Amino acid sequence: MDAAVDFSSPVSTGTTIIGVTYNGGVVLGADSRTSTGMYVANRASDKITQLTDNVYICRSGSAADTQIISDYVRYYLDQHTIQLGQPATVKVAANLVRLIAYNNKNMLQAGMIVGGWDKYEGGKIYGVPLGGTLIEQPFSIGGSGSTYLYGFFDKEWKEGMTQQEAEELVVKAVSLAIARDGASGGVVRTVTINSEGATRNFYPGDSLPLWHEELEPQNSLLDILASAPQPMDA
Amino acid sequence: MSIFEYNGSALVAMVGKNCFAIASDRRLGVQLQTIATDFQKIYKIHDKLFIGLAGLATDAQTLHQRLVFRHKLYQLREERDMKPETFASLVSAILYEKRFGPYFCQPVIAGLGDDDKPFICTMDSIGAKELAKDFVVAGTASESLYGACEAMFKPDMEHEELFETISQALLASVDRDCLSGWGGHVYVVTPTEVIERTLKGRMD
Amino acid sequence: MDGPPKGGFSFDLCRRNEMLVKKGLKGPSFLKTGTTIVGLVFKDGVILGADTRATEGPIVADKNCEKIHYIAPNIYCCGAGTAADTEAVTDMVSSQLTLHRYHTRRESRVVTALTLLKSHLFSYQGYVSAALVLGGVDVTGPHLHTIYPHGSTDTLPFATMGSGSLAAMAVFESKYREGLTEEEGVKLVAEAIRSGIFNDLGSGSNVDICVLTKSGKKYLRNYEMPNPRTYVSEKGYSFTKKTEVLMTKITPLREKVEVIEGGDAMEE
Repeated sequence: MDAAVDFSSPVSTGTTIIGVTYNGGVVLGADSRTSTGMYVANRASDKITQLTDNVYICRSGSAADTQIISDYVRYYLDQHTIQLGQPATVKVAANLVRLIAYNNKNMLQAGMIVGGWDKYEGGKIYGVPLGGTLIEQPFSIGGSGSTYLYGFFDKEWKEGMTQQEAEELVVKAVSLAIARDGASGGVVRTVTINSEGATRNFYPGDSLPLWHEELEPQNSLLDILASAPQPMDA
Repeated sequence: MSIFEYNGSALVAMVGKNCFAIASDRRLGVQLQTIATDFQKIYKIHDKLFIGLAGLATDAQTLHQRLVFRHKLYQLREERDMKPETFASLVSAILYEKRFGPYFCQPVIAGLGDDDKPFICTMDSIGAKELAKDFVVAGTASESLYGACEAMFKPDMEHEELFETISQALLASVDRDCLSGWGGHVYVVTPTEVIERTLKGRMD
Repeated sequence: MDGPPKGGFSFDLCRRNEMLVKKGLKGPSFLKTGTTIVGLVFKDGVILGADTRATEGPIVADKNCEKIHYIAPNIYCCGAGTAADTEAVTDMVSSQLTLHRYHTRRESRVVTALTLLKSHLFSYQGYVSAALVLGGVDVTGPHLHTIYPHGSTDTLPFATMGSGSLAAMAVFESKYREGLTEEEGVKLVAEAIRSGIFNDLGSGSNVDICVLTKSGKKYLRNYEMPNPRTYVSEKGYSFTKKTEVLMTKITPLREKVEVIEGGDAMEE
């Protein structure tokens, strides 16, 4: 079979994912590209998955593995919420993710960022990288695109940002990674979580800032051709 | 070399008007050495249902024994013979059970169903059914059989013509396959009788 | 040992087969559906499409096979990959859903089918090689999903799978839009499949289409047949009796009489 569409190779989210805390909550961000080898299997995927009303997870690595992990965690958290009679904390959610990632580390290829807000600790970001470690962080970046962003975040992330500053930082960072990382692309999706709840945002590819040597977004070649004279016209 | 080419075989089944024919070659070899020249590859399940098993002979015989066993259990429980469609599903299930350690067999199933409607079908070694309206082939000579049948087959043949067609297709095909040959076995089944013939073919 | 069905796979020939492969014999090749399968969401539902070629290596094993599998009355599923796997996995899920319907007395939902399929495929870690396009209409509306052999799933407005997926996706990417009518949708699906049939060697023969709406399903088997047979005269070959027969045995059915003629002409 063609190497470009080798369906036996696992579907992976060669990805850029980001979680950032700000003054009063967290912003999660991700690109929307899912690839199988060299083929973009889905150009509008959603890598920021809801776990509870107030906790979301950014997924990177094998799509199958991270989907199953979030399915399990969501199931456990639903039960936990009913038993507790109140929303689960971000820490509990992140710990469940860690537990599954750690216990099955030989079977899984999953790097995740858990973020959310609860009334005890406010906005929190937890990174759960490949081996199943759990790290509480002020900001966390992951996926193949994150290699381009470490220096950027070291410089640009500031303690006590506003929601708008944080969201702008996330969108800027993801668009930078999309520009440099071939495995990341498409649109930028963000989820902002604070005491008010969670809000989703969507930034289309042609609305993103242009970086070094990037070209203006072009209309589809078909649109250009449609307005041009047709070669077969008499 | 593929495991399917270890013993060598040619199998074909065709549909006619209210009848069907199933035919095989007679050679049993171990790679290029011929061991037997009167080897049965077509097995009777009941009067109007036959199965041919191409591929590794040891697996073919084992699989046949399991199929006969399961069919007898069915007869005891249901007090009737299996319909060809049901039998095909049984074979498929038995093969798929061994998805990750298959029998090296490719079955060809042919039978007359209720109101004497002919049914033919083949599968790969893990039970992917392939239902056809005209003909099915299997074995090391399958490539030449595809060509021969594609050219020679006509719909709605009477049983005499069906016999000639399937025999000619089989003999023509095995002549271009080193691993099968030595004549053939042909079963033509009509609603009233089973005609079993042994064909003379090249002996090299 | 053998007998009443137990269910589940049996691994007892694995070691022997591994030994045979180690001795230099090649393992078997399975029937594949080197396929073009597609699906799209239109105004009132979902349309699925598939080509009808099944291959075994370079051989066309079946020129007119069915790749749109039944899951439930309101849910169908296109399958690409190893034919036995797509067939087995869809049959299994469809039977589980039937029992679930008897139990709940409610129409099956597409997410239920999706979850059953993905959890089976995930538990076999990609070794059950079925790549699926699942479509259906339930109480929550029309749904279209793709499922990969490793168990990952996507939710999309239009989807393609199989070796011809690139050819078909090219058509969808340039012509799909929201709110297509049924007629436009069927036309677009047929065009995408045709693009697979003619540009991908693994796909061929005819176009199958299945339209699923709230009011029911339309299974358009062989909706288009762009590859009719053009060779061999209709009369075909005819044979005079010239096959050399060594022995004939005629067994009349119902009566237990055997007629044997010329049995001694047998050669050793």
